Amino acid sequence: MLREQITAENTEFVILSFEGPDRYSLAGGLGVRVSHLAQTLAREGFRVHLIFIGDPNLSGTETFNNDKLILYRWGQWISRYYPEGVYHGENEKLYDFNESVPWFILEHIVKPADLNGKIVVILGEEWHTTEAMCRTSDILHANNLRNKTIMFWNANNTFSFYKIDWGRLSYTTTLTTVSKYMKQIMWGMGLNPLVIPNGVPKAILRRVDDKPVNRLKKSLNSDLILSKVARWDPDKRWNMAVEATARLKFKGIKTKLIARGGMEAHGDEVVYNARHLGLTIADVYTNGHTMNEYLEAIEKHGDADFLNIKFHCPLDLLQVFYNASNAVLANSGHEPFGLVGLEAMASGAIAIVGCTGEEYAVPLHNAIVLETSDPGEIESYLLYLESHQSVKERIRKAARETARLFIWEEAVNNLVQKLEFQARIQGLLVAPRFMPVPESRPSVLQQLANLPTEFNDAVPKREHILRGIA
Amino acid sequence: MANDIAVYTVIHQPRRLKLPAQPIPKNATVEDIERCLFDERMNERYFEKVATWCYYPATQMFLELVNNNNFKMSIGFSESFLRQARTWDTNLFNLFKQLVAHKNVEPVCVEPYHSFIPLIDLPQFKDRMEWARLNIEQTFGKKPVITDTTEMIMSDGIYHALYSLDFKAALMDGRSWVLGWRDATHLYHQGKDMALLTRHYELSDDVGYRFSNQGWWGYPLMANEYAHWLHEARGDFVFLAWDYETFGEHHSKDTGIFEFMYRFPVELSKQKMKVRTPSEIIKKYRKYSHDLPLSPYPCTWAGEGGIEFFLGNDAQQSVFQLMLHAYNKALLTENPELIDLALWLVQSDNLHLIQWFGRSGSDAEVSAYFTPNEWWQLGPNGIIGEMQQVFKNFIQSLDAYL
Repeated sequence: MLREQITAENTEFVILSFEGPDRYSLAGGLGVRVSHLAQTLAREGFRVHLIFIGDPNLSGTETFNNDKLILYRWGQWISRYYPEGVYHGENEKLYDFNESVPWFILEHIVKPADLNGKIVVILGEEWHTTEAMCRTSDILHANNLRNKTIMFWNANNTFSFYKIDWGRLSYTTTLTTVSKYMKQIMWGMGLNPLVIPNGVPKAILRRVDDKPVNRLKKSLNSDLILSKVARWDPDKRWNMAVEATARLKFKGIKTKLIARGGMEAHGDEVVYNARHLGLTIADVYTNGHTMNEYLEAIEKHGDADFLNIKFHCPLDLLQVFYNASNAVLANSGHEPFGLVGLEAMASGAIAIVGCTGEEYAVPLHNAIVLETSDPGEIESYLLYLESHQSVKERIRKAARETARLFIWEEAVNNLVQKLEFQARIQGLLVAPRFMPVPESRPSVLQQLANLPTEFNDAVPKREHILRGIA
Repeated sequence: MANDIAVYTVIHQPRRLKLPAQPIPKNATVEDIERCLFDERMNERYFEKVATWCYYPATQMFLELVNNNNFKMSIGFSESFLRQARTWDTNLFNLFKQLVAHKNVEPVCVEPYHSFIPLIDLPQFKDRMEWARLNIEQTFGKKPVITDTTEMIMSDGIYHALYSLDFKAALMDGRSWVLGWRDATHLYHQGKDMALLTRHYELSDDVGYRFSNQGWWGYPLMANEYAHWLHEARGDFVFLAWDYETFGEHHSKDTGIFEFMYRFPVELSKQKMKVRTPSEIIKKYRKYSHDLPLSPYPCTWAGEGGIEFFLGNDAQQSVFQLMLHAYNKALLTENPELIDLALWLVQSDNLHLIQWFGRSGSDAEVSAYFTPNEWWQLGPNGIIGEMQQVFKNFIQSLDAYL
């Protein structure tokens, strides 16, 4: 059967990732990415199998979207020994993942799909899945099924690049990445990945409720509110953000930094630095799960300069942070894509981003783009914006419009186009039929008739041609 | 000239380790430790392969021979094999039950895990052999009175351990360095009322080892010729012992091994030779049995007949040290399930499969043949390193139980 396009009727997706939608499985942006990607594909009607290191206390498999989205919580028998999260017991989990996932894909997904005449698209995310992807390719090849599948492996970051057998991976899969910046990095390694930018959920474009935003602003009672959400990693330039906050404070501008870091040790250094720079610090905890409980916890520490948020922040709370802030400091020095900056923009906030993978950001049009690691640059832009309210409003508006171009539906559309390109190379799809419309092409005479007068001497006269024809 | 022959075959499949070594989670349950140690997927794959090419056709062949040709044989099963057959192919398991149930077939007790426990812990070895005897009796309905060990390992200590279990006879390889001036074609004992049936290793290896070797002067071996050789052997009887996998696995079907065996009883009859079970041999020759002093150094039917086949290179020595450490540390836990895992780990195959390390020649070729193909991508040093790591992981996992 000759097919021209990838459609929900002829294609199934498998997504391999360590991180996933469970709280247990969320460590960085990867879990959020694969969750949204899987959900969007399922909403578009595709059957999606998401295989990830899931919460050991939840069901092994779970289905959503009328069975279109199937979650497989892999390695639960190991995760039971490692309750702290997805990367706790990483080596043990990785071994099991590599060993068992390829066979599962072969027997339980690809073989049945092949019997139904379906293409299977296998998407691997991050270095943890590289070995499983290679083995899956090998096993499929041994079973004469490799050419009936499309395999994309995606680099969301440069983490553990040194561990990857690039020759084997690029032979067995199509490499992709999330920005042209990453493409350039990989190009330098002799690789040429396709670029498929990240996405944001459409829901994030909804206007944020003013009430919690105003409540937060009121409780912090300050001239400037800044927020920063990132792992505690030097690449994220936390110290730059802290120093900018301190500079503003000591200029007499009452400034608060809402900081949501990760579990990394660099956090201690950042907090030490903040204290050293004269900022007062409060660790904010709560066991609550409602907006009211979150805000109550923050309100208790409204006097601190540096609010170190120590609890999980769902997207709706992050959006409140972003909207309450005069700026969101997504000022990384190395950012493969910069999802936080885009999420802040989608929420209608002013994002101050770095200038690496944040290709969505246009300086002073929809965001502030930093060119240096000097905290003075942040300080300078903030002071400029506060004295130019119209510029702020213009940027906020443009930011939301830009973010609209990056919703997951758009990202999936882009992905499907790339998959179709690969599918045609593999002979799984035929080229779409293209029939030129004859009427739309002007005749030679029409073209000559429309020539500008300055060409009159350079070309044969219309009458000459007509005579010639006659 | 020998008038009688006895045939013994032993069936074994290793419980192969999982390489590269799988890290064991801290505080893992015994069940989870076990799943990290052994590659059951690989074991199943090899089991299915050997079942197809050997176990099914060979068992059909032996059933036909015992039914139609009054052929007699003895057969030993490692628990390592039985466990796999029970799990992955009950039809095959039942076929073996059918074979053993035949009056012409005598079951032989073997060390159940095909382990090196007889070299490590003789009291434990005795317990294991008692368990194996009961296991065979419960499985096949016949109580074994003849015993083999692992790879036919025999020594003075092992002899006395088996004697204390009231076996009528034990099997051993008839190597000249053990027998001295004696021939393998007589019945022996070592001072106690337990006979020693010595395998005629040259005549056994003509079939078990050389049958398909086109460079061998005896190639192609025909049943009539072979029967003639057996008859010509000096002594009372010839005791032949082979791996069961000789038939269809070591020598594939197209070598003619099955046709050879189908013809074999007919040619023996022509030579007026009688095929007997080991028990019948013992009954007939017991009063003529001779003294055979056994060395404390074990002999085996593998390689050149000495234990250096298993412990002769640095890699084997290091793995053996780890085996000892694993086993003894498991004993400290006093946890029967962990001790059981340690017994699986001291399976002789874990040394057999790395005999090739730093060696060449026919023994190394045999060893390399048995090494799973999937392991070779690790490279020789990688195989040894990962095998050691399996033991190290197990040893570390025991900490939670101490």
